[in-house]
Amino acid sequence: MKIQILGSGCPKCKQLEANAREAIAKKGIEAEIEKVTDIDQIMDMGVMMTPALVIDGDVRSVGKVLTPDQIAAQL
Amino acid sequence: MACSCSCGKDTTTKLIYACAGAANTGYLADQVARKLNREGSGDMTCLAAVGADLSGFIQSAKNADKNIVIDGCPVSCGKKIFESRGLPFVHFVTTDFGVEKKKTEITQEVIDRVTGEICKAINA
Repeated sequence: MKIQILGSGCPKCKQLEANAREAIAKKGIEAEIEKVTDIDQIMDMGVMMTPALVIDGDVRSVGKVLTPDQIAAQL
Repeated sequence: MACSCSCGKDTTTKLIYACAGAANTGYLADQVARKLNREGSGDMTCLAAVGADLSGFIQSAKNADKNIVIDGCPVSCGKKIFESRGLPFVHFVTTDFGVEKKKTEITQEVIDRVTGEICKAINA
């Protein structure tokens, strides 16, 4: 499984990444986390608000910091 | 097009979609959307991508404060795309602004006038 965190690297983006790591640990699954900070790449994915969460190429949330439980429910 | 990053601050995100159909009125919808984007009334993004159900565009539309859909004629393809997906939007049709499909020449004056009227409506 590949999880991408889209955003500039601001506090909300970092919180989303931390929450994703916590969700992965809770579920006990293996997943690769990639941070995407390039604005052109982010907009090519149709994401107009950050942070955003992408799981295996599917954008699951935009402009929100999902909780670890909310992320875990999507894994 | 600038990214409406919501990181660390409260921002109002207005996304603009134009039908960009083949007729003169679709061309006008596209030009008005681009002018609104340039003038900072919102961020223009891709209506076709919403119609194609691309996840990033759908999620962005779901979470925008306002989606502004500009159609070129009463067939209203943009409106139908948003309605069928249950996405919230405000709707404009360029033929409601005294422009006739296949007849009116789309001059800069027409683009400026329709942009001004839509801009006023979305900021009211």
